[in-house]
Amino acid sequence: MNEAVSNLSMDRLAGDTDLVEWYFEQGFSDGFPVVPPTPEKLAAMLRALGGDPERVECKVPPRWGSLSRKVLAINMVMAGCKPEYAPVVRAAMLALTNTAFNLNGVQATTHMACPLLVVNGPMAERIGMNAGCNVFGSGNRANATIGRAVRMILLNVGGAWPGELDKSTLGHPGKYSFCIAENEAQSPLAPYHVEKGFDAADSTVFVIAAEAPHSVTNHQANDARGILDSIVSAMSTYAHNNAVSSGHCTVVLGLEHALTIAGQSWSRHDIRQYLWHNAQVRFGDIAFDHRYGKVYNRSLPKWYGRELDDMNPIVPSPDNIHLFVAGGEAGRFSAFLPGWGHMSSPVLQGIDGEAPVTGPVCVDGTCFL
Amino acid sequence: MNISGDNSGLPVYDPRGVVEAEVVSIAARVTSLDGLRLGVLDNTKWNGNRLLRGITERLCAEHDFAAVNQYAKESFSKNALPELVDQIVAENDIVLTAIGD
Repeated sequence: MNEAVSNLSMDRLAGDTDLVEWYFEQGFSDGFPVVPPTPEKLAAMLRALGGDPERVECKVPPRWGSLSRKVLAINMVMAGCKPEYAPVVRAAMLALTNTAFNLNGVQATTHMACPLLVVNGPMAERIGMNAGCNVFGSGNRANATIGRAVRMILLNVGGAWPGELDKSTLGHPGKYSFCIAENEAQSPLAPYHVEKGFDAADSTVFVIAAEAPHSVTNHQANDARGILDSIVSAMSTYAHNNAVSSGHCTVVLGLEHALTIAGQSWSRHDIRQYLWHNAQVRFGDIAFDHRYGKVYNRSLPKWYGRELDDMNPIVPSPDNIHLFVAGGEAGRFSAFLPGWGHMSSPVLQGIDGEAPVTGPVCVDGTCFL
Repeated sequence: MNISGDNSGLPVYDPRGVVEAEVVSIAARVTSLDGLRLGVLDNTKWNGNRLLRGITERLCAEHDFAAVNQYAKESFSKNALPELVDQIVAENDIVLTAIGD
């Protein structure tokens, strides 16, 4: 047994104690039974994390608890993770606690958004993640328990207990687990992390504050424009936070839609550009035509039009649309996930310290500096 | 049930992590507003400035402030920048703020 493990326990209980019930009673659960950590399971998790178990990886708001490797290991075991998931959960926590993400706000907001994790690169397949059928749903241990471990940390270390420091009016089903992988094996487009400058052999985890996926149905169009017009329709409403607070959003193309679009030689750049150019909302709709007093809306960029009939984009730039391909082989569906707003920026984190390649990056035939 | 100190039994673990925080007491309360410098911090929420404008007008009608200084946060969902907090502390005796969703 790892020597460090012998000092970790907070207590020792009689051998007939029901540990599942004990962890419930302490308030250390997300509402489901947890896996009671054993010295053996913790030692394996700490070996996977490597280095000093006391090393603090990050502090988790709004409670600002210290996430040491031993606390990370405890939460991962409780969530049901295998040790090989450790680099993904660690990278996710580093991404979430990056200042740009503003986890303090995401955890405490009255809004419904919660962190979505998307894993790219060989790591996803190596640990058996699901990127295909039912990708946002249940049934895969890696997806489920990586997402759950992050949530356990956000609760236990970050203190985001409902009604205490998490003030979300309605919450989000993804606050149990919200973790997918991009379907790189079957996608006709370049992987997301390659578009952002990483090497295809690198692995990354992307985090964004996202609403739940909204289905986009299109069983008719056999071209890119028709399919994307349906996504534009889903995006072009004034009810979600992007419309009134700008920021970033996520689009997940289902496989059939992606194959049709790519079949017409549309690149990732073309798709994001088309969505950005066409997904708009009238300022007067956001301002209710000033029915409740004249509204300027300081949450939107200064360059947006404020005349009632001015049309503004859903997000300020095509770069603020984060595009993934995921899901099963059958079904002409995609998904739009509105974001929280300008208050949080998504973060793409290399797993195990991998960094983007330098110099111009060419993706699907389009090169960027 | 607790058999702590004994190496037998089932070990249990705390998943919360420690909080290292400094306890800071609140400033002494003022007994009169006259002659004080009032800072007004707008958190930039939609109706925050409206609420602050109304309250500031009422306060100014009832009290003789030495100064009224206006400030705005970068974002309503983020902490005020440390430099802004330092500036507010240096330039004011009391501060008024509002959420105004």
